[in-house]
Amino acid sequence: MKTKITKGGWNAFLNAVLSIFILTLSTHLHAKELNIGTATADITPALPVAVCGQFNLRIAETIETPLTANVLVLESSESNKTLDLAIMVSCDLVGIPNELVKKIRAEVQKQIPGLDGEKIFLNATHTHTAPVLENGPESNFRYPIPKEGVLQVEEYQNFFVQRVADAIIKAWENRSSGSVSWGLSHAAIAYNRRVVYSEKAKKPGQFSNGTAQMYGNTNTPDFMNLEGIEDHDVNMLFFWDSTDKLVAMTINVPCPSQEVEHRLAVNADFWHPVRESLKQRFGPQLCVLGWTGASGDQSPRPMYRKAAEERMLKLRNLSRMEEIARRIVLAVEETYETVKKDRYTDVELAHKVEILPLPMRKVTEKEYLFSKSERDKYKAQIDANPEAAKQVLTSMTWNADVLKRYEIQQKNPDAKLETEVHILRIGDIAICTNQFELFTDYGLRIQARSAALQTFVIQLAGPGTYLPTKKAVNGGGYSAIIQSSPVGPIGGQILVDSTVSIINQLFSGK
Amino acid sequence: MKNLKILIAILIFPSLFVVTNSCKDKKVKKNTTTVVANNSGNLSVGWAQVDITPDKPVLISGQFHARVSEGVMDPVTATVLALESGNGESSEKIFLISCDLVSISDGTRDNAKDNLRSTIREKISRKIPEVSPEKIIINATHTHTAPYCHTASSAKELYGVDLDVMSPAECIQFVSDKISEAAEQAWKNRTLGGISYGLGHAVVGHNRLQVDFSEKSVMYGNTNRKDFSHIEGYEDHSVNLLYTWDNQNNLTGVLINVACPSQVTEGLYQISADFWHDTRVEIRKRLGENIFILPQCSAAGDQSPHIMIGEKAEARMQKMMFPDLKDVGDRTLGLRKDIAVRIADAVTSVLPYMENSINRNPTLKHKLEVVELSRRLIGPEDVIQGNKEAEKWEEEYIQLLKEIQKTPALKEQPKWYTQITIAHTKMRRGKSVKDRYELEKVQSKMPIEVHMLRIGDIVMATNPFEYYLDYGVRIKARSPATQTFLVQLTGSGSYVPTTRSIEGGAYGAVPASTLIGPEGGQELVEKTLEMINDIMEQ
Repeated sequence: MKTKITKGGWNAFLNAVLSIFILTLSTHLHAKELNIGTATADITPALPVAVCGQFNLRIAETIETPLTANVLVLESSESNKTLDLAIMVSCDLVGIPNELVKKIRAEVQKQIPGLDGEKIFLNATHTHTAPVLENGPESNFRYPIPKEGVLQVEEYQNFFVQRVADAIIKAWENRSSGSVSWGLSHAAIAYNRRVVYSEKAKKPGQFSNGTAQMYGNTNTPDFMNLEGIEDHDVNMLFFWDSTDKLVAMTINVPCPSQEVEHRLAVNADFWHPVRESLKQRFGPQLCVLGWTGASGDQSPRPMYRKAAEERMLKLRNLSRMEEIARRIVLAVEETYETVKKDRYTDVELAHKVEILPLPMRKVTEKEYLFSKSERDKYKAQIDANPEAAKQVLTSMTWNADVLKRYEIQQKNPDAKLETEVHILRIGDIAICTNQFELFTDYGLRIQARSAALQTFVIQLAGPGTYLPTKKAVNGGGYSAIIQSSPVGPIGGQILVDSTVSIINQLFSGK
Repeated sequence: MKNLKILIAILIFPSLFVVTNSCKDKKVKKNTTTVVANNSGNLSVGWAQVDITPDKPVLISGQFHARVSEGVMDPVTATVLALESGNGESSEKIFLISCDLVSISDGTRDNAKDNLRSTIREKISRKIPEVSPEKIIINATHTHTAPYCHTASSAKELYGVDLDVMSPAECIQFVSDKISEAAEQAWKNRTLGGISYGLGHAVVGHNRLQVDFSEKSVMYGNTNRKDFSHIEGYEDHSVNLLYTWDNQNNLTGVLINVACPSQVTEGLYQISADFWHDTRVEIRKRLGENIFILPQCSAAGDQSPHIMIGEKAEARMQKMMFPDLKDVGDRTLGLRKDIAVRIADAVTSVLPYMENSINRNPTLKHKLEVVELSRRLIGPEDVIQGNKEAEKWEEEYIQLLKEIQKTPALKEQPKWYTQITIAHTKMRRGKSVKDRYELEKVQSKMPIEVHMLRIGDIVMATNPFEYYLDYGVRIKARSPATQTFLVQLTGSGSYVPTTRSIEGGAYGAVPASTLIGPEGGQELVEKTLEMINDIMEQ
């Protein structure tokens, strides 16, 4: 059951009055209501700080934009009793370590006893200009962060946990009845970044063991095609408070936020100008959650027609990041204008949290031996020159992780990665999360089979790692090779099937 | 609200934009400032548009079965852009003609000399003797609801039954008369002007091939199934735009190049230009009724505007955008209008930056080459399969024909001819495999026309095919031009699939659908790039 609060072509004033009236009326007629709370935490680190996302160590000395964690609390209640809830936090980070989620849940539960901490999930926008979040001795991608003179990882973790927990509590406390709508538009943001070459161009190597190469050159006679499709849908949710003020929106773009990924600076990447533009348009109260759709094989970097794109940037006097923001904001604006009168108050809210055991990708003996030789090569480089660690410690630990996985596999061939997923129904739409850099095809499989009107796939609601398709594994290259992906196509399809099954259960009684 | 997008963008991006005019301003003739006529260039631009809708029932082209037109939903048109650089005999003269047709018959399939392309050229050259036929480039938008223009003198020749329609050959004469008149008008209308170009984006075309876990592809398959693996290939949502201006800096027209054929409502029995009609309406609503719009389809053999995933959500958005429409979703007017808004948004979002980059003296160079491409070789097993198909459908056709002859009243039923014309078309399709097998023994290469047109820093390259999108991306990625406009269907058509598509085996990749395969497709990539490099170096 959902109550639509307005419809038709009233003028703005009458519409607002009518909305309030009907909203009030609906509150009395339907005991169930949707409560909405929002908060934003500034999670910008102190400088200097090691930033995450590239193989080389980068120490950021400047802050170009703040980093934020944006919190949206949704609660379905009846007679002041919580029926179900979701606490969603979008963070300007590269990934979300599981350990930090646990700490945030614990911190929140300390302040709000009885709150189901499992209903909290965090996602990362995948900006590559945000702090390193985990770097322990067991890390599979370890940087040689100096012990002094830079912000330590543990310090940032504590800061982040506290800030996010405080914001969640604030959002929980300020929740009040409101309404929601959803919509779909399009924006050409992502490019598929995996370039496929002819068989004769096949080269062996750490990354290029097949015909595909991430960010390969397309201006060459051996270029055949971009490996997969791009998803230019933009799914959106809009939330209003009881006074008709737009208080939050979620924007689901299947593209990671990594336009300025190489900078030695702190930067929230394209979500920053998106948020700023939308706040100018809708007011400072607006809380914007950036959700990255399935896009492990995508990036915002043009793979061809670069000259034409560059020329248009010059004509518009925009940076590439601003241009991406412009396209997203246009999509939002267009959708908002279309759906703003199609709002609902007592929508169905259901939130399932499941732990899925996904089979680990099998490490072949050849892959094991290759990874071992790579690990040893980088270790030797560091032993010979400790400064080399700044460039290759990540590669060493990245390859060493394959050896660990191989050893686990020897002891337990059916080893599983247990991964948490969140599946929500909000009215006619579904939201599903995963921890991965999930290749686009998986997202499309979920969306194609989902019973929901719109299905929001949120990747990187966890620590990450690529999850390539069979096609990509066959093509090889960084992001599809064994080092990049502890879970492979078999696990990927189980994730799809399980997610679809849960979504469709939530809609089975529709 | 859609046509206010740019205005809204300006409001919400005050710090990002340097904008002098909103799109809405463009509707208004420049009367706020005195514009001095700019006669400094040597480019002349002429436009014309003509209605090519026959006033009698015709065969509608584009499906296996015959369709006799049952009225007109909206007119099919041809738009002519005449460009001349310099004066007199030595000037470069080019005609770009875009037609709301499924293809432009060029004799490739039937060796007919009185095909549509030759007839149009001949008539234009007769009216404008200084224009050589090879300077006339004609493309189809691939609407599947336009008159069948073919050299066949009767419906029976094509479909095996008599139908009371204007014959396909008469359609050639009718359409070519109209287009040659429009060309003459565009030529006479030409005045000093300029061009500017830009790149926008619009999600219009979708790859229409779906692959399952056994790696088999199917066109327009159901994606809502457990064994759906992925969409076979890529999509290109860029929109290449060329704007033309008069010497008062008034916008006169826009050439729009989109990687998607115009076939949303492709199953209709009414004449229609499909989404280009709605796009013209939308753009003229925003920019003025006198703006000319010339549509081109980039390499998009594996693309279509049909929604592959998420139709329900698209339908809901269409319903809210166009509340008066009854039909929304895939294959509806709702989708056509939605696409029109998206393309118009691309046009108007780039427009504010075009007025300051008008080139009144661009390099205008054109070259036509007849390129010989390797045919997709048919093997004996293909012939056996083709013959099997032909026999099966011939039997069906004969059976249905007998039934109709025995019971003439069957012809009283609406669309009585559907099944028998499907059988006849499939019979012909099967037989054509053997014909091709025999032809390839003596002629392994297929000659096609490739036009190369340089206008300043951009280039246009044509092909007569439904050229799969990957080939287009290969060309665009390696082209030295700032923007590369690929124009497909400047001839009779026929799919040119890639290797990955042939492995999938969907319609469009099977031998009966294709005259050229990956080998010839790549030859065309290389030849096109050679010609682009050559013309850009000059």
